[in-house]
Amino acid sequence: MSDAAALALPPAAPPARPRVLLVGTALAAVATLMAFAGVIGLYLAERASVLSQGGTWLPEGTSIPLTPGGIAMATMLLSAVTMWWAVDAVGRNDRPAAYLALALTMMFGLAVINAISFLYTQMELPVASVPGVFIYTITGGFIATLVAAMAYAAVMTFRTLGGEYHGRDREGLVAAALFWYANIAVFAVIWYAIFVTK
Amino acid sequence: MAVTETPPETVETASAAAPSAPHPQPGGLAAVLGSGDHKVIGRLYIVAALLLGLPVLGLGLAFGVEGFEPETLDVFSSDVAYQLFTLLRVGTLFLLAFPLIIGVAMVVVPLQVGSRSIAFPRAAAASFWGWFLGSILLIASYAINGGPGGGSANGVNLWIAAMGLIVASVLLAAVCLATTVLALRTDGLSLERTPLFAWSVAIASIMWVFTLPVLGGMLVLMYVDHRHGGALALGGSAGIYPALAWIFRNPQIYVLAVPVLGFAADVFATASGSRQRMRGLVQGAIGVFGAVSFGAFLAIPSTDALDSLLVVVLGIAAVVPVLVVAGGALDAVRGSGGLKAGPGVAYAAAGILMLLVGTLAGAIGSIPGVLEVPEGSSASSNIFFLGITHAVVVAAVIAALGGITWWASKVGRGPAASSVGLVAPLLLLVGGIVMTVPDFVSGIVGDGVETQGDYAGGIAAANVVVAIGVAIVALGLLVAAVSLLPLLRRPDDEVPADPWGGQTLEWLAPSPPPVGNFEGELAVVASAEPLYDLREEK
Repeated sequence: MSDAAALALPPAAPPARPRVLLVGTALAAVATLMAFAGVIGLYLAERASVLSQGGTWLPEGTSIPLTPGGIAMATMLLSAVTMWWAVDAVGRNDRPAAYLALALTMMFGLAVINAISFLYTQMELPVASVPGVFIYTITGGFIATLVAAMAYAAVMTFRTLGGEYHGRDREGLVAAALFWYANIAVFAVIWYAIFVTK
Repeated sequence: MAVTETPPETVETASAAAPSAPHPQPGGLAAVLGSGDHKVIGRLYIVAALLLGLPVLGLGLAFGVEGFEPETLDVFSSDVAYQLFTLLRVGTLFLLAFPLIIGVAMVVVPLQVGSRSIAFPRAAAASFWGWFLGSILLIASYAINGGPGGGSANGVNLWIAAMGLIVASVLLAAVCLATTVLALRTDGLSLERTPLFAWSVAIASIMWVFTLPVLGGMLVLMYVDHRHGGALALGGSAGIYPALAWIFRNPQIYVLAVPVLGFAADVFATASGSRQRMRGLVQGAIGVFGAVSFGAFLAIPSTDALDSLLVVVLGIAAVVPVLVVAGGALDAVRGSGGLKAGPGVAYAAAGILMLLVGTLAGAIGSIPGVLEVPEGSSASSNIFFLGITHAVVVAAVIAALGGITWWASKVGRGPAASSVGLVAPLLLLVGGIVMTVPDFVSGIVGDGVETQGDYAGGIAAANVVVAIGVAIVALGLLVAAVSLLPLLRRPDDEVPADPWGGQTLEWLAPSPPPVGNFEGELAVVASAEPLYDLREEK
């Protein structure tokens, strides 16, 4: 076989029917959503119970400023755009744009973690309190899943870089994007339930 | 690596041309411990579940003996009775029933859908090892005075972490199983043609994915709370179990039993030697049963009104699919020349009858006003619901053992002992009924769940009957285990690939199936009974 023949693009393979990674990721995303739905549901129920008895929810001296949470939410929404850009760029075989988009998505992810960490220093909420347990568990759990989503997107980026995914088969990136969007949905609920309505 | 405009799409082609050194195949223990073969993982699940779960049932028997004379017979001291009670309940679910079902499904489901492997084989292996490690840690946590009600803070933390690991592992297994059915079916095997057991496992797995993360989230919450002083009631040592009790209640407990329906439908259709005429209806009923088993909303304690309405609707609705599947089984028998009776059929009948007992009781117990609730306690603390849990768990265990027996030549090295195997489902069914009916009776008169060793009250005679029931179930399990011993040794004669005149693709695989499951390429599937099609072609 000549070098030219070896380097020629092979005929387009029929798209693989089993979208195994995508289906598996969709199920993992559902599991993530349900885990947060359960804990946030408990948070809302506990808060409603305390407030209905005339109590105050947050301990004295604790305040949850709206700005860091709002900025984190806006950053997550921006990351939705860059993640979509990455998937679209890979679909068009525009590799530099794909790498740029994925790098921006990672950066936005780090910025959200930074914003939540900053919020921790601002709100002065003791963990040994009912709201503290809930809020640190929920937001800490979110940071953990966000790190997982970033790692997943990074792995898919490297795989794309290595040629495993490209214009005709971008299942890995689509799967990573799906998990990322699930994280955005989770954060939207956290933002409203905890940072906005406290 | 330089970033270029051109995607390196030729990498695969280029690397394929390069000669690769042959990988030495591991053998012996390494082949088992490091295997990603779904059959090996399934077998590990089954063996480990029997080894860990059977002693837990022995604990149940001891509780039954204590029930003869609670105030004088001190099998357990009052210090440890509550901890052991929680071990019994958590253990029967997570150390016995779940892993048994998962083990059978791991072996059978990829074969049924014509796949050469399970989806995410390394994740499937990780699910087993995670579950196994979690189970060992769970038992260890009790040994150091942990668990719900335990006196050691580290022990309680270890219990929560171990439960978290077990739940995460079960979820991982569920993702692998559901993905296998959804995405790895062979050509022509559409979802409506999917074998009913594989279909039921997919439904069950999806429901586990929808409900068990709620439990996982609660465990994380409990861990944080318990590590930081226990401000929340549910994070306190004694508050842990009541907060998690919703997973044992109907309708949530039904998620465990969805594969019972698929197993029974599959076995009856095959044993009757005819195509399933009510297949669409049965398949729909299995889906409906999965949907009505969604009970994660019970985790939120302050939704009582919603709970009541939903519990009544779901409780009553759960009976219908079980009746439909039972009707489908009867229809298959009636429409055939005759039923090839055997242990598999006995297990299938016993499993579905036991599930019918559980769901009927669930329907009755869900109707407001039927059960007396002691003042100051919740309806869920009524012993009636313990009976439902036991009925459903026994049904699931019957189906799992039946699955091992029915697919013995795929799970093990040869067929199970048929004569002994016929006795086991009968014992399990009788024991299950004897064990649960007294709880239903006691529940109707308002008895609560007895979580202490030296409890007073209740119907003493009922406790004796329950103990006898537990003993019969334990005997049934022992007999079942004996009937499965032939699976461990290689038979003298060649084991037929299809001993039952099967309908579905697993019977096309050699017994035991090799790595890769099938010899040669599978033909495109054209109906829900591809092996019948093959026979008709001949």
